[in-house]
Amino acid sequence: MKTTQVSFTVNGREYTMSVGSLFGQLLPNELLIDTLRERLGLTGSKIACKDGACGCCTVIIDGDAVPSCDVLTVDCEGRSILTIEGLAAPDGTLDVVQQAFVDYNAFQCGFCTPGIIMTTRALLDKNPHPTRAEAQEALAGNFCRCISHYHVLDAIESIA
Amino acid sequence: MKYFEYSRAATFDAASEILKTDEKATVLAGGTDLLSVIKNEILEEPPSQVIDLKRIPETDYITLQDGTLRIGANARLADIAASPEVTRELPALAQAAWSVATPLIRNLGTIGGNICQDVRCWFYRYPHEAGGRIVCRRKGGENCYAILGDNRYHSVFGGMRCGSNPCTVDCPAATNIPDYMEQLRLGNPRGAAQILFNVNPIPAVTSRVCAHRCQEGCNKNESGEPVAIRNVERFVGDFALNSGELFYAAPTEQSGKSVAVVGSGPAGLSAAYYLRASGHEVTVYDSKPEPGGMLMYAIPDYRMPKDIVRKIVAAYEGMGITFVCDTQVGADLPASELEERFDAVYYATGTWKRPVLGLSGEELTVFGLDFLVQVHDWMDGKVGQEVLVTGGGNVAMDVAITAKRLGARKVVLAALETEDIMPAGKEEIARAREEGVEIQGGWGLSRVLSEGDKVTGMELKRCLSVFDENHRFNPVYDENDRRVVEAENILMAVGQQVDLNFLDEKYQLQLTARGLIDVAAESQMTSRPGVFAGGDATTGPSTVVECIANGHAAARGIDRYLGVAQRHICTGLQIEKPFLSFDVEGVKRSEALKLAELPLEQRSIDVEDEIAPDEAAALSEARRCMNCGCYAVAPSDITPVLVALDATLVTTTRELSASEFATSALKLDEVLEPGELLTEIRIPLVPGATTAYDKFRLRESVDWAIVSLASALATENGKVSGARLVLGGVAPIPLRLSAVEGYLLGRTLDSETIAQAQEKAVQECLPLWNNAYKVQEVKAFVGKALARLT
Repeated sequence: MKTTQVSFTVNGREYTMSVGSLFGQLLPNELLIDTLRERLGLTGSKIACKDGACGCCTVIIDGDAVPSCDVLTVDCEGRSILTIEGLAAPDGTLDVVQQAFVDYNAFQCGFCTPGIIMTTRALLDKNPHPTRAEAQEALAGNFCRCISHYHVLDAIESIA
Repeated sequence: MKYFEYSRAATFDAASEILKTDEKATVLAGGTDLLSVIKNEILEEPPSQVIDLKRIPETDYITLQDGTLRIGANARLADIAASPEVTRELPALAQAAWSVATPLIRNLGTIGGNICQDVRCWFYRYPHEAGGRIVCRRKGGENCYAILGDNRYHSVFGGMRCGSNPCTVDCPAATNIPDYMEQLRLGNPRGAAQILFNVNPIPAVTSRVCAHRCQEGCNKNESGEPVAIRNVERFVGDFALNSGELFYAAPTEQSGKSVAVVGSGPAGLSAAYYLRASGHEVTVYDSKPEPGGMLMYAIPDYRMPKDIVRKIVAAYEGMGITFVCDTQVGADLPASELEERFDAVYYATGTWKRPVLGLSGEELTVFGLDFLVQVHDWMDGKVGQEVLVTGGGNVAMDVAITAKRLGARKVVLAALETEDIMPAGKEEIARAREEGVEIQGGWGLSRVLSEGDKVTGMELKRCLSVFDENHRFNPVYDENDRRVVEAENILMAVGQQVDLNFLDEKYQLQLTARGLIDVAAESQMTSRPGVFAGGDATTGPSTVVECIANGHAAARGIDRYLGVAQRHICTGLQIEKPFLSFDVEGVKRSEALKLAELPLEQRSIDVEDEIAPDEAAALSEARRCMNCGCYAVAPSDITPVLVALDATLVTTTRELSASEFATSALKLDEVLEPGELLTEIRIPLVPGATTAYDKFRLRESVDWAIVSLASALATENGKVSGARLVLGGVAPIPLRLSAVEGYLLGRTLDSETIAQAQEKAVQECLPLWNNAYKVQEVKAFVGKALARLT
């Protein structure tokens, strides 16, 4: 049966959307990255390849880092989604991962950084003390054109 | 992204039901492949609806029970890679799952989705927005672009047939042309001939007179001249005719049935051959002094030498076929008597009758077919200086060229059709023009001009269109646009009609509205049980190869009617190969083989114009055939492991082995029934076996396997006691190295054994022009897997 409604939370906030092709409705073929950026204004997750290869659009769904360009929003029923915007505390205090990245200048142009931070967050949630090799492996799906990798690994090591 | 509907399946069966009713529906198992295909508009037609399987309860389990690992189709690759049971018991599977794409993708992708993913060939996957999708052979198009294009990631073991090739489809007899070209390349002309004889017992005829529509759709047209199939066939046809009894042997078993064939043209000859092959006693009747029909009497010697026809007839007689000539069924032998004497009768009497067009002065013209039959009467200067030939078919071309060769100074050929839609073959039109025939397309006949009994010319009127909007013959003329062609002879090569003189008031057959013999399409049986008909007598004037196909169909119909199984004269001559191959250098050549011809001034009406190619020339041309198929590789990392571990796949309707699932056909939809869905994977543990999955790719993340090897090996007392080796990324399907496995059993894994195994692994390799490096990788991986046990 055609799905007509979908409910999920993003950064702790509940959303219920009506699914269909009328104006304003969530399209059944809409990608999560587009919903986040266009409907919810959460433009921290970036679009680069939009084909699951680069990791710039990484968000955490129910604890797993996934490319949000490869997820249909309509498929997120009951899911809890965390984006880069949901990491910092309400008072503006940065998440430890974010702070470590700032401290280690673990970025250059910064376009891939939200994705890398989200993947790192998911890694630390599952494995609070990853080795450098484990971090490297976990980040194998996040590409950086500016070669920020070494600083990223240093940053992660500092909080592992 | 194109719009589609989305629904969530509660059970696999519910999803199946939707798939069965909506063939444009598709399933989402993880989504990383499906969404990529839709996003990039890879396929011409996006799915109408996507049915999400991921929420079906209890379908993502990984359990180990009674020595069998069971994995639900919805188990995620990340979970399989991390599963302690899998890592401990079947490291190959954990390694394969871990090697897929990236950690992010593995959090979404499922094992079911991975196994069922679409092909990864970069021509197939070319994004639509980057210049237009490529509709390749795999996608339902014609060409495999890897044959001539950059094929560094393609198969090194050959391709697989993917749908029917245009040459085969365009042949009325459905000759498997690429297969016979391959047999030639394998140095096996006998196998090539056998493929021809499966559908055509007189290739020595078709190689000379067939229009070879097969060449028109040849994919080589995109990069040069089409393969000169005709000229290759010329070699194979003559080879077969000169091969003694190999292709014209008497059947070893007799059926005890008798069949009469009336008419010995292409249809009659075709039927007679296949009927005799099935063991029937076959008697062929013909009204003319010699057998062969139009081949003997209508097609000029310079195209169809009569000694070839006589040689075929002699070969037929050697098979035990009896020819009775100079016998007009109806007049000399009543049709009813024939029906009584034989268990079945086949009429293939052709279209020899002149039509009455109702043209003023028509009686002063000569029927083109009569002109060809009586050509020797015309040889002593009866042909005038100026000749008009009317008609646009092959017969008209034969008539025009023959008239020219008989000494006419000027020959004009006027056809109703313009040249682009003329029924004659392109080669025949070109030949006529080469000999100086003036071809005038788009002119209809108005009236014959004469002085007394002497023809002086013909008035033509402009033909505006030949067919109406329903594609029916219904010419429209411009009565005001007329011209006169002066001519001393008018040869009318238009509208041959079926001659039904053998019927009388008592002996009738049902006819069609066009006055042809009416037959059942499948069996070629007429309204009288046991009486069959075919060839031009049932279709109107057609081509030689259509008549051959028709005669073959009739032979099948007669076999069925007589309750006898169809048999073949020659079998087992082909070299069987698991994959398709082509000649990497030969396919690049754009120029086709041309046959040597007599120079214009030496051509006559009774010596064959063209000189047959030798075997080397035919082979060289066969090397230009691309053997169209799909040369992409199977992309999944998981399937080679499942084949190596002898897994069982459970679907909504049955259980099948991983090897049947992944290797029995190129495409999954050829293996699975509509709506059939994979639900579970069962892998038996093999105690003591070392399993591994080695994968070579460009980057340590994201990429698909360029070469991979799934291995399961066991040793006992230092000797190999069990071996399963399956390659991924190198062939259209996961490739089991059975020869290597067999070689390894019982051997000690020393360096010599390993070196031998490496060589055996690549023995059947057929690298393309840009992927020979993969051969080296295959050897390295086999060595690596074996060295692990030493």
